[in-house]
Amino acid sequence: MNKLQSTWISTLLLTSLLSCGEKAPAPDAVGTDSKSGAKSAAKTPASQSPSPAAVPAPAGKQSITVWWFQWAPADGLAELGREFEAETQIAVKVEQIPLSSYQEKVFLEFGGSKTSFDVVIGDSQWIGRGASKGLYLELTQWLPTVVDLASIHPRAARYLCEYPEGSGKWFAAPCETDAVGMAYRKDWFEDAAEKAAFQKKYGRELRVPDTWEEFLQVATFFQRPADKRFGCAIPSDRAYDGLTMGFQNVLWAFGGTWHAENSNKVVGHLDTQGTIDAVEFYRQIVNLGPRGAERLDYGQVLEAFTNGSTAMLLNYFAFFPGIHKQFGNKVGFAVVPAHKGKRVASLGGQGFSISTKVPASQQELAKKFIAWFLQRKVQEKWITKPAGFTANAQILASPEFRALTPYNGPFADSIDSMRDFWNVPCFNELLSVTQRYVGMAVDGELPAREALQLLAEEKERILAEAGLL
Amino acid sequence: MQGARRTARPGRQRLGWWLVAPTLVLLVGFNVFPLLYNVVLSFTNAELTGGERRSLGGANYGRVFRDPVFAGALRRTALFVASVVSAELILGLVLALALVKRFPGKHVVLTLLLIPMMLSPAVMGLFWGLILNGNYGILNQALGAAGLSQPQWLTDRDLKFWSIVLIDVWMWTPFMMLIALAGLGAIPPSIYEAAQIDRAGPWRVFWRITLPMTAPVLGLAVLFRATDALKQFDLVMATTGPNDASTQTLSTLLYQVVFRDGKVGLGSAFACTVLVVVMALATVFTRYIDRMQKTEAAA
Repeated sequence: MNKLQSTWISTLLLTSLLSCGEKAPAPDAVGTDSKSGAKSAAKTPASQSPSPAAVPAPAGKQSITVWWFQWAPADGLAELGREFEAETQIAVKVEQIPLSSYQEKVFLEFGGSKTSFDVVIGDSQWIGRGASKGLYLELTQWLPTVVDLASIHPRAARYLCEYPEGSGKWFAAPCETDAVGMAYRKDWFEDAAEKAAFQKKYGRELRVPDTWEEFLQVATFFQRPADKRFGCAIPSDRAYDGLTMGFQNVLWAFGGTWHAENSNKVVGHLDTQGTIDAVEFYRQIVNLGPRGAERLDYGQVLEAFTNGSTAMLLNYFAFFPGIHKQFGNKVGFAVVPAHKGKRVASLGGQGFSISTKVPASQQELAKKFIAWFLQRKVQEKWITKPAGFTANAQILASPEFRALTPYNGPFADSIDSMRDFWNVPCFNELLSVTQRYVGMAVDGELPAREALQLLAEEKERILAEAGLL
Repeated sequence: MQGARRTARPGRQRLGWWLVAPTLVLLVGFNVFPLLYNVVLSFTNAELTGGERRSLGGANYGRVFRDPVFAGALRRTALFVASVVSAELILGLVLALALVKRFPGKHVVLTLLLIPMMLSPAVMGLFWGLILNGNYGILNQALGAAGLSQPQWLTDRDLKFWSIVLIDVWMWTPFMMLIALAGLGAIPPSIYEAAQIDRAGPWRVFWRITLPMTAPVLGLAVLFRATDALKQFDLVMATTGPNDASTQTLSTLLYQVVFRDGKVGLGSAFACTVLVVVMALATVFTRYIDRMQKTEAAA
């Protein structure tokens, strides 16, 4: 009986093990769906894993999977994807991932032997890592064959698509171009009683702030916590990049910088008076928001404004369609303020990058979709979608684009002045320490000068470890 | 008969091995292998996005011991553990002493008190995030309505750490209470009767009978809570996020290093160091409890 039992269990275990082996797919068993393809190939032993080029074209219904974070432009892209499918019979699945976990999910995918997506619409800062670690397919040879590169706005090309910046090496095609802008309560600004009170208090007319000093003054004027009315809501969150993206608009305007103009040298450049002034100024305006305003992520900034309590907001233009839909003519939009004539908007937006970890057949399908998307006629449709901000310079400069929505004009005016954070491969470490030390200075845990000195030293250590200094 | 049993024993032993084999395979697969793999990774420059991996020798460990951020997280975690465990122990024991006697509705009170412990920490973190929100949180709304000041519970640098301590104490005091109740219930009534005959006062009874006799059980509860609090992650993530200099614990620092910075090698070195510290502390503590139990048994 005992022998019988042990023999039976041995057989069972052996059968299970063998059946596991049988389930391993053949290298050419990559499904038509990129996701199933990913799963199949992940089970293939590394030694037998086929190079992308060796994989035969899939038969039957074709599809590509695009990953983007969860927001309105992704819905617009999915709608365009359906048009593409109707024309080509290639389905486009746009999978929307919550922003808070987007980076880690994408990076984890890249850590495997295959990615679940064929195309990732990656944050602009990721491009250095994507390009230098062989995660993004290089598009330098291919892209000019499908689009006139001169038609792509140079700032979009530099920050969203090329690595190193301005090198002419393309690792992404432009998808969504974005910048930080300002929304304000037009009805409050036009209210006769408010105008008179402002005039009396400051001796000048209440108008949309054109400079950061005016912004501070207007925010101070509207800051009335007892009436549940607040001056401004600006990104200040520490979880991902909120504080940094909000702060940059002040940083560059005040003459501060992250690093030297032509090198990655940080000490002596970041810890200078311009940056210190910018931190001190940002600290002041952060405190002119609702209670707890020193920790607002992009969604909470929006919430503070759309709940009707806040006079002004700084956020990405891509979030503005919802504001306009809710407030209609009661809200106005503008470019970020300037300081001593210098105006710089923090860049947002993302490009299409093709994963190197999918079969060549999927890469070809992805290229077909990107080529289709970049056509002028499709770009003209893209700008009609909520926050579908094109990188096509001619469309951006056209009066038709400006007339389309009240925020398109300020957006078009912002794009020439937009700049981005580091996009080197170790950007995420640089971002972490920036969030930490700028956050400590904004919170008053450290004096600005000391926090920036520590930040500069820490950044140089990270850059040196990454071989970039 | 005896001989037959002896001959059957090797077969039964084999069967035993076969029966535990799946568990052993799972344990090795999910515990031992990841642990060893983590040690291997800690000596490399492994990154979350994969790519070529090379050995760095002990460089990651050198960084761990030099890094002020790690030292800060270690200190913060130690303070967190000490604060929450001591508060939960005292409050839990007080509650247990109050609830040890029978009274009408005792089961309802007990059930209500146990609710926080049964909820998901992540969900509770999010709820408390709403409750403590400085602008629209119900606590500040209530304080404002009462004409009191409205502290910024989760953004004020001096308050946010203690706000998380408060949430943890709210969640886990019932656990201490439950264990303390079990300990109190195990004390033979005859000992209390003898003390009563000797006219011992309540304070003396507490110090000489109740506390010493529940101490081993409470010690175990402290060990459980301390090891759990050392891993504090959910509440910090849900309230202030992983990169807040005032609330970053070891677990959230690990998350930040591995998943946000993508430095898997460095994160593994952090994890190994934390593991050694936790194992050392746990060993000391279990030996202490063991000794306490032996002393108790001898008495």
